Amino acid sequence: MSTPVITTPAAEAAVTGRAGVGRRLTSFMPVIALVVLLAALTVADPGFLTLNSLTAAARTSAPLVVLAAGATLVVLCGGIDLSIAALCSLATVFFALWLPDAGGLTTVAVIAATAAIGAVQGVAHVLLRIPSFIVTLGGMSIFSAIALVISDAGPIRVVDRDATHWLTLYVGGVVPMAFVVALLVVVVVSLVLRLTPLESWIRATGYSESAARLAGAPVDVVKIAAFTVSGACAGLAAVMLVSRNFSGSPTMADNLLLPAVAAIVVGGTAITGGHGSLWRSLAGALVVTLLRVGLPIVGVPSAYEQILYGAIIVAAVALTLDRSKVLTIK
Amino acid sequence: MTTNLSRRPEPRVPASAPALEVRGLVKHYPGVKALDGVDLVVRRNEVLGLAGENGAGKSTLLKALVGLVRPDAGEIWVRGEKVRLGSITDAANHGIGMVFQEQSLVPNLTAAENIVLGSEGPGVRHGIYRWNTLRRLAQEQLDKIGSHIDPLARTDSLTFADRQMVEIAKVLRIEERTSHPPVIILDEPTSVLESKEIETLFTQVRRLREFASVVFVSHRLDEVLDVCDRVAVLRGGRSVGEVPAAEAAPAELHRMMIGSTGSDDHYHGAAAERRDEPRRPRLVVRGLSGRSFRDVDLDVHAGEIVGIVGVHGSGREDVCRALFGAEPTTAGDVVLDGEKLDLSGTRAACAAGVGYVPAERKTEGMVGPMSVADNMTLTKQKSRCTGPVVRPGKQAKLVDGWIERLSIRTPDRGTAIQRLSGGNQQKVVLARWLVAGDVRLLLLDHPTRGLDVGARSEVYRLLRELANQGVAMVLLADSLEEAIGMSDRIVVMSDGRATTEVAAPTGDKPTPLDLVKEMV
Repeated sequence: MSTPVITTPAAEAAVTGRAGVGRRLTSFMPVIALVVLLAALTVADPGFLTLNSLTAAARTSAPLVVLAAGATLVVLCGGIDLSIAALCSLATVFFALWLPDAGGLTTVAVIAATAAIGAVQGVAHVLLRIPSFIVTLGGMSIFSAIALVISDAGPIRVVDRDATHWLTLYVGGVVPMAFVVALLVVVVVSLVLRLTPLESWIRATGYSESAARLAGAPVDVVKIAAFTVSGACAGLAAVMLVSRNFSGSPTMADNLLLPAVAAIVVGGTAITGGHGSLWRSLAGALVVTLLRVGLPIVGVPSAYEQILYGAIIVAAVALTLDRSKVLTIK
Repeated sequence: MTTNLSRRPEPRVPASAPALEVRGLVKHYPGVKALDGVDLVVRRNEVLGLAGENGAGKSTLLKALVGLVRPDAGEIWVRGEKVRLGSITDAANHGIGMVFQEQSLVPNLTAAENIVLGSEGPGVRHGIYRWNTLRRLAQEQLDKIGSHIDPLARTDSLTFADRQMVEIAKVLRIEERTSHPPVIILDEPTSVLESKEIETLFTQVRRLREFASVVFVSHRLDEVLDVCDRVAVLRGGRSVGEVPAAEAAPAELHRMMIGSTGSDDHYHGAAAERRDEPRRPRLVVRGLSGRSFRDVDLDVHAGEIVGIVGVHGSGREDVCRALFGAEPTTAGDVVLDGEKLDLSGTRAACAAGVGYVPAERKTEGMVGPMSVADNMTLTKQKSRCTGPVVRPGKQAKLVDGWIERLSIRTPDRGTAIQRLSGGNQQKVVLARWLVAGDVRLLLLDHPTRGLDVGARSEVYRLLRELANQGVAMVLLADSLEEAIGMSDRIVVMSDGRATTEVAAPTGDKPTPLDLVKEMV
């Protein structure tokens, strides 16, 4: 019975120690970034830290939070969903087209439709054994094209505003309803994961799919479910966008893909799967939103936004990637 | 038995120095001493055999010789000159090359391209491929070994044996880097060859001896003795001796490989406690066939441990995986406790009370970054849930109970399993199947791989206890000694078929040699 408790001589223990500190730091990174950003923006424009601008920022962030939350599930499983923005755009068109007939049920119908589309992508990924990157890249192109075709390549006005009116309300007069709904999505999905075996299964799938499979975890079902939820979130985000813009448009959400991926990686969710959470993506989405509303304040033209997103994604992954897990960097 | 290991030949005359010499090589891995002071001499123009059981340190030694593993201590000398080998290129520059067990050719390139890949030399000028020169270079290499393979054939269109010839031709490119005769290492080159192809390979090895030194590694002792001039034996990371091949018998070699320490006593001792009452058959396998196995029949009774032994490529690992639904089958019936077992997937197997401990613990057995508790309850989620809801308190109580029962050494149940030692990791992996108390059949693929002696005996004791409680087990042991010690019955597999069955009751155990005879 001479089994040592911890694997190692001192050298490796030191490494583990450093990784421990690093991990703790990265887990607070999104919150630290959020506070630093708020402080910086307040310094740049002392008028920024007011109830009005914070309320506006929260309202703007809601669709992004929802999109990022859904896609986080796919990333946790070790995949990626590049189709969320295109699917969301398509869903705004669905909403505008279906509203006259479906009325109050339109929201439910749109979310059900996008969930089904997400499930189809998940099934294609699992059953045909195609990398999720490719499936959703193809999906992105297909959904964009369908949106263009069925909308005649232009925005469709939404005249009946009753169906989305509730999303434009304010809880307690200050907190935008859309943001509350986004928070609810994060809370509910996180709770479901935490309270059921799902979290265990998702993490195992993301960290090591073969180990998860050999432990009898329902890997395929979990992955399809993740894509389904990601699709449903794209539908919900679309409803939020329509409630603000009073129209559906085939390109309405297209500029949200990069911010959503940025939100996930800035939050510190590992792009290789397993490690991360929806809470992190919430913080990441708030950071990204603050950058977005803050750039004009510090005098950066918004045309530079995309450069920033690109740089953020690369930098955040560079900081958080566990290279020991990735044998060959492709 | 000749040994010139103690010789300290400094200063030496380079002309008489051995082609390659290893002195006191040490390599530790967490929990394991892979090399524990290995000495080895490879003379010029000789074929040296390297024998040893799994875990004896052969592959680590070979990797150190080609710069893939950095030893913790010890020296490597090449032709009387002490060298440090930091990479495969370093080794090649010193004239050491290896033909890998897993072939290292790029399948969609031609044989010629593969041969010169990475050592194009005059075949590339100003960054541009000069195809004619490349082909000529490749042809020269093939001529060297007298092979008639078409250099323009795509590699994946060649037979396995031909691809191996291409590998040898490729390795011989290191002659361009040094003026000295090279040292060529062949790691298990015969494991997937037909007997006729093996003859061709041996002719090739003898031809290589004319201008090179060869290190030949094989599990099959008769082959080693057939083709080698001298055989060095490793055991437990140490050199235990060497014999001239002409004088040795497989039996003698085998004795050296497994040692005569009687270290398998503890299996027998534990086995003696077994209840020996009549048992009912639990697992009945009839005519099971798959990609790498055919028509396998197997019976395992409740409380019985059946070992399957066989050389590399015998298909025993795949049979094990097939019974767990992790490897497709084409035919056959499997019945567990009178009910047909669903082999369509791992979930069905788990639900039926079948457990599997994979050989690759770190990548397949456990989810490294997840906690001990979550790893332990990963399969039997119901054991920590009420309805669909996880109850952390229930999980804590269950996991802590098993941590205590199996004396798993861990700071606490929340520690990431990858921080534990190998033996404790393996106990968590085993506990995964036990927490629900519904396991009927355990399939154990090298359950003690990479564990040190203490951890091994703990695993043995645990397995024995489980057998006494009526769990049926199929064991693919790490060594013959382990298979004999642990098993009640041993099935020998060869070329995908179960060929023989040997009874191995306590007090009347077969010897490793009895089994080796059946295996080859």
